[in-house]
Amino acid sequence: MEPTLESPVSPKLSVSDGSALETKRLSAWFGDHHVVKDISLVVQKNDVFSLIGPSGCGKSTFIRCLNRLHEETDGASVSGEVLIPGAGRRDNIYASGVDPVSIRRRVGMVFQKPNPFPGLSIFDNVAAGLRLAGVMRRNILDEVVEMSLIQAALWTEVKDKLKKPGTSLSGGQQQRLCIARALAVKPQILLMDEPTSALDPISTARIEELVMKLRNDVTVLIVTHNMQQAARISNQTAFFLMGELVEVGPTKSIFTKPKDTRTEQYITGRFG
Amino acid sequence: MNRSPKGSTNLSGRANIGDRVFYAGLRAVSWTTILLFVGMLIFIADLSWIAIKETGWKFWTIDDWNPPMEIFGAAPFIVGTLASSAIAVMISAPISIGTALFLREIAPRKLAGIVAFLVELLAAIPSVVYGLWGVFVLAPVMRDHIQPFLATWFGPETYFAAALAHVLTGIAYPFLLLADAFGMTSVTLVSLSAKMMMFSQGLFNGPPLGLGLLTSGLVLAIMITPTVTALSREVLLTVPDSVREAALGLGATRWEMIRLALLKTGRAGLIGAVILGLGRAIGETMAVTMVIGNRNAIPSSLFEPAQTMASVIANEYNEADGLHLSSLAFVGLSLFIVSLIVNLLARTLVRYLERGSRA
Amino acid sequence: MIELSIRDGRRKMVNYFSLAVLCALAFAAIAPLFFIFAYLLLRGWGGLSWSFFTEIPRPVGESGGGMANAITGSLVLMGLSSALGVPLGLACGMALSELKKTRTAKALRIAIDLLTSVPSIVIGLFAYALVVVPLKGYSAWAGGFALAIVMVPIVARSTEEILKLVPSAVHEAGLALGLPRWKVLMRLILPGVRTGITTGILLALARVSGETAPLLFTAFSNSFGFRGLSSPIASMPVQIYTYATSHDETWRQLAWTGALVLVFVVFLLNLVTRILTRRKI
Repeated sequence: MEPTLESPVSPKLSVSDGSALETKRLSAWFGDHHVVKDISLVVQKNDVFSLIGPSGCGKSTFIRCLNRLHEETDGASVSGEVLIPGAGRRDNIYASGVDPVSIRRRVGMVFQKPNPFPGLSIFDNVAAGLRLAGVMRRNILDEVVEMSLIQAALWTEVKDKLKKPGTSLSGGQQQRLCIARALAVKPQILLMDEPTSALDPISTARIEELVMKLRNDVTVLIVTHNMQQAARISNQTAFFLMGELVEVGPTKSIFTKPKDTRTEQYITGRFG
Repeated sequence: MNRSPKGSTNLSGRANIGDRVFYAGLRAVSWTTILLFVGMLIFIADLSWIAIKETGWKFWTIDDWNPPMEIFGAAPFIVGTLASSAIAVMISAPISIGTALFLREIAPRKLAGIVAFLVELLAAIPSVVYGLWGVFVLAPVMRDHIQPFLATWFGPETYFAAALAHVLTGIAYPFLLLADAFGMTSVTLVSLSAKMMMFSQGLFNGPPLGLGLLTSGLVLAIMITPTVTALSREVLLTVPDSVREAALGLGATRWEMIRLALLKTGRAGLIGAVILGLGRAIGETMAVTMVIGNRNAIPSSLFEPAQTMASVIANEYNEADGLHLSSLAFVGLSLFIVSLIVNLLARTLVRYLERGSRA
Repeated sequence: MIELSIRDGRRKMVNYFSLAVLCALAFAAIAPLFFIFAYLLLRGWGGLSWSFFTEIPRPVGESGGGMANAITGSLVLMGLSSALGVPLGLACGMALSELKKTRTAKALRIAIDLLTSVPSIVIGLFAYALVVVPLKGYSAWAGGFALAIVMVPIVARSTEEILKLVPSAVHEAGLALGLPRWKVLMRLILPGVRTGITTGILLALARVSGETAPLLFTAFSNSFGFRGLSSPIASMPVQIYTYATSHDETWRQLAWTGALVLVFVVFLLNLVTRILTRRKI
């Protein structure tokens, strides 16, 4: 019943090795509070990479460092490196002289609560990123908006009411609209910060389905407080605790034979 | 390894160029506005400079204003301003707070919406229209009905005047004793009492003219009521429902709850609201200019015509020059400073309330 | 038991009495509105005619004439004051919400707060010193400037309030699309809240349309019609003031009719803002 999901995203800039993102000794602070401690990890291209851990473990802050959104908070600071494939080489997004704005176009994000732009129509919400980046040609916008909505599995539901305000949709639809909005600027990486925590089970299932399809086009990092969700949709999982990376590996092995006792305690539900 | 935790990334350091320009622009606009405000004080002080040099601080105590004789003292206007604003506040405070309580506690939602809207409309009516109405409608009613009535019941030779004189003497006597102890005054109890008697007897004395201090106070009361009502309403909304329910749960009647929960908890804020209303009354110009009667002397009766700081500027500025013009600007500067002080006072009170309710 | 019930009876009576007093006070608060409006209609309605809007006033003693000069003058002054006051107010509102807790924002907030409390006649004095003195004469410029200063804090406050309602998550969504902050604010957030901002601007316009005191010695008045922005210019409120204090019956009539028209416009603006506010929610 869904339209076929042929990859509408143009091929990415060439990537020499298979890694989509690498962090080196990444640390983050809120004021004096050290919330992300020396994290080094590698995410492969087309992974669905989930980050799990009890609330307050720094997983959300961690991914907010990956598109330099963390620093927009008052009193926040970061150190370390984040490497993503750029024009031929791998770029450190924290290198001096790098404009955070250009980074965020390559690393998209979907938030915990659906946050469509108020007062903007469904179409304008999806087109917002492109338009403001200077894409004005109507036929290109039409095409990208349609593609993005198809990718976000929302097209059939909204194609007749693209002029309606984005806020008129249901919660689950709004979240898929936000996914479409993020996809429209064709990011290499999509960060998802507990994207289903505000949604009902049916909407959650649709988003999970969607994420699994998206991995063909984009590398996904998803923060979740729901271990079943991580197990269902991701192929790699990292376990965070108190700002530290405890364990990282293929999802299956993390959930079946964790190496660290703290991981084991967490996935068996003994804390968190 | 390559960055210290503090100040490693911040917006000003490495932000997008467009953002840097934009934020610099916002800061520039902010300081322009701040400068505009400071400039206001400086420019008006500059206009008043001749008068400040000529008369000095005595300006505020000289009780004569006589442009042809080049005598300029602001005391009549200060008294006129304080008296008319005080009347306005005395009338408006109970009405405004009562209306706010009515809106919060008595009126059903729909009615409350309508009444609140009507009060808002009252705030929207331009000052000059109040003045027009005051001159042609209110003043004749005051002259023919209200002032004769007041003179009969509260005027000279009435029980009210005598009682008021005694009460005022009683209030003032301790201060007199205190001043006497320091050898600062030669006033005796007899002369004090005589003064209070003169004041009380004079309060509602004189021919009913319609235009004058009392009428302007009444018009001002109508004008500031919407402001004070709206502010009181906001204050009452900050009182959490749990406090109200606690009082009702104790078996308090609705009125007891209002006294216990709303008025007590919101006291500082309500006083702040009334003081902000006072601030508006002090600065109000057109309506007062039209109904106060414009007489440059300290009034001894509420029926007498008077002049406020704002109204004398409105009346005389266009025809003034030299020292006269500068003295009017000095009046304006004084008015500016007084309204700043009154507003800061009110804001401090409201902030005090906010801190109190959070604790 | 009996004593208690007597006490309860008294408490109940006090309760009903006090609540009745509150109702009476609320009635006292809104009663003047009806008196004022009734008299405006009673005295002003008869003077409404086509010529009121199209003719300029005649000399003292002649009957007829209208307030065309004051109406155009008020429109010109409102245009001038909006041209300066709206952008400045908007920018201050954005600065308040964007610069958050910086020293600049704190100082600006105090300045805006105090600006709201400055009596409008004092603003007139300021405009006199800053514009009338250097230009050596009353002018529309000076009047427009004075009114703009009245507008700035109103527009700034309402803009800040509206922007505060937009959750930070929406800002972040924009940033996450790879847009600079200023573009997110100007192109995504502002269009979304345009209704609220329009409301603030309309309220500011309603306020300045009736302002008289700041115009007395800035824009002054003229009874001949528009003569350029560097000349004195008439306005509805100043004209109403002049005519109300005159001793000419025709002029007084014009004052009442003018007041009726002015109040009608102000109420209309308030009504529009109210409808806009409701639709927004």
